[in-house]
Amino acid sequence: MSVSTPRIDEPAAASADAPRSTGQRRDGGPRRAVKPSRILLAALLAVAALYFLLPVYWLVVASTKSSPDLFGTFGLWFSDPQWLHNLSQVFSYSDGIFWNWTWNSLLYAGVGGALATLLAGAAGYALAVYRFRGREAVFKVVLAGVLLPSTALALPMYLLFSKVGLANTYWAVLIPSLVSPFGVYLCRIYAEAAVPAEMLEAARVDGAGEWRIFGTLVLRTMTPALVTVFLFQFVGIWNNYFLPLVMLSDDRKYPITLGLTTWQSAADRTPELYQLTVGGAFLSILPLAAAMLVLQRYWRSGLTQGSVKG
Amino acid sequence: MDTPTPSRRAVLRWGTGAAAALTAAPALTACGQTVGAARTTRQEPTRRGQKVKLVFWTWVPMQKTVDLWNRTHPGIQVEMQAIPANVQGGYQKMHSSLAAGNPPDLAQVEYHELPGFMLVNGLTDLSAYGADKLRDSYVPWQWKQGVFDGRVYTIPQASGPMGLFYRRDLFPQWGIETPATWAEFEKAARVVKARGGGARICAFAPNQPSWFAAMCWQRGARWVRTEGDTWVVDMNDDLSREVADYWARMVRDDLVFVEPDMSSAWYRHVQTGQISAWVGPQWGDALLRGNAPGTKGKWRVAQLPQWKAGQNASANWGGSSTAILQGSRHPREALQFAHWINTDRQAVDLNIGVGYGWPAAAGILRGSALDRPDPFFGGQRYNDVFAASDRAIDTSWKWSPTTDADFAQLQDAFGAAIASDGALASTLAGAQKSTVDNLLAKGLKARSAR
Repeated sequence: MSVSTPRIDEPAAASADAPRSTGQRRDGGPRRAVKPSRILLAALLAVAALYFLLPVYWLVVASTKSSPDLFGTFGLWFSDPQWLHNLSQVFSYSDGIFWNWTWNSLLYAGVGGALATLLAGAAGYALAVYRFRGREAVFKVVLAGVLLPSTALALPMYLLFSKVGLANTYWAVLIPSLVSPFGVYLCRIYAEAAVPAEMLEAARVDGAGEWRIFGTLVLRTMTPALVTVFLFQFVGIWNNYFLPLVMLSDDRKYPITLGLTTWQSAADRTPELYQLTVGGAFLSILPLAAAMLVLQRYWRSGLTQGSVKG
Repeated sequence: MDTPTPSRRAVLRWGTGAAAALTAAPALTACGQTVGAARTTRQEPTRRGQKVKLVFWTWVPMQKTVDLWNRTHPGIQVEMQAIPANVQGGYQKMHSSLAAGNPPDLAQVEYHELPGFMLVNGLTDLSAYGADKLRDSYVPWQWKQGVFDGRVYTIPQASGPMGLFYRRDLFPQWGIETPATWAEFEKAARVVKARGGGARICAFAPNQPSWFAAMCWQRGARWVRTEGDTWVVDMNDDLSREVADYWARMVRDDLVFVEPDMSSAWYRHVQTGQISAWVGPQWGDALLRGNAPGTKGKWRVAQLPQWKAGQNASANWGGSSTAILQGSRHPREALQFAHWINTDRQAVDLNIGVGYGWPAAAGILRGSALDRPDPFFGGQRYNDVFAASDRAIDTSWKWSPTTDADFAQLQDAFGAAIASDGALASTLAGAQKSTVDNLLAKGLKARSAR
């Protein structure tokens, strides 16, 4: 969904921008005329923000309407809002199956994202700190993994999972969500820059084992990168469609993306489902928005540090 | 994958023996195809008192019908699993499950998709389980959609016979009589444009190749046929070109809106009366009723306009069957369920309630949920019109096994033509060529008809 993108771009652009502007003001003394390039930049950013936020605004407005009003009234303004009615419909339709989907999405994205972050952190740290034969080869294979679209892997994975009898289980979506090549890449770059060798030496001298060093020192030092990886992975799993589509057939195990599509599929025949689909889509972006708002502080520093020092 | 992936011919040989090998229509036997169902259907013996469990994939919300079956048939329990529709990944899912050898027993498959499934040996030969004697329970043309080389491969579910939805309140205001021919329809369109204050008679949807195919079907075109083991593609024929030219003229003279149908712009036009007619399928009734409730009582349904006065040719848009996928372990029970859900009176009424389409069961209209005056259509028994339409559909229309790809290309070509010079007919030659190419790419024999 489009909400994720602006959050990545904007803070990064803004923070790269911010120090320069304050610096200028401090040195420059009296107010200077604003440069045209800055106005242009601000205008461009405003347009970009509008471009990304408008659909969200539309979604908020649309989720308050009835099915006929959805089509018959101006899309960007309210008409006869019936929010509570709509949302209670979303949750009660078909024996409250939307609750199942929400819970499943939280499970896949939350647990999958957390474990993937831990794995990526450990792998990235190991690649950054330990010297071993084939280290670069391993890293390059992981890099190649970044280039492979996960969609291309879904079908072969489905055949494998069917063979071992895991198709149409929670594991079928969880296990593939546990790996994040991009996360490994980011964590390695970050660990190289942020984990000082002296600190590790000191810890070893003090008698800490490698696991303890990783668990207490390194994870803490790497927090910004880990939060970044977690958010990427969380959003990725949350919005994933193809993998659960192929893997799952029991609609009680579906995540929200897939569930809403089944509603949309039936909306041709049962028009009230248009409204429920829109209402469900609105509800489904709330956890993403919450995760972004809570974690964006870390996200920002994680990204910029990675980009500056990498 | 470490399973051997034998060629299609080999799959057939290994399958249920000679019977399966003989059933494949010659034209659907590809050379060197390496895809196919990883498991073949086999009836597993059941012990006395043992419960058989079946899995059924569909995107029509038929849960209530399935519940009724489960209540009345304790020995055969069906689990319905709601999957995303056709283009949203439903077929992809079915093909993956066939390749993995763990398909559901039953699945909803549209008529135009059946040849594609035949190509990968994805459907169970139901003649082997006595399906032939069920033939008379179904509308003949729909039954024939699932018959390949004399063997039955699916049980028809529902279709979409077409008619003309129009606004009974607006047409007389503008002095328009219900058009009976396409020439009259065009005249009416000009009147609507002149007197309608911005209204148009209908919309042309460049994104709807299956609608355009239906229009050509009505005109008498036959886009594909088989000669022995060769597919002959005939989309660039005079009849289809005539249909294309007709709609190109409507677009060029600004007599129709050009917009995707069943989109928000289209619904708004329907709600406001800017669109005063729809050449649509029977299942469109739910869309008008649900999305334009303010127009209640103002709609009527008439027969599809004819190319020649006095003719009686109709067309169909959309249609699904209940197929038993290759690999089921209980084809006998699955067939029993497929027949029940599509012909049992109570089941059909429940299906109608969730808008599954026009019943494929023959002679079930009388006394069904469709057989009553409808206040939305001003008390008209509008389904009588569709019943007549259903009887007037030519039964010889065939689908190519590559319809999805063919239609995607046709849709792109239409979009491009509308954006440039609007010459729809000139896209048909290209569409025909790409259809032949698609068939050849599947390892089938194919050629253009002209």
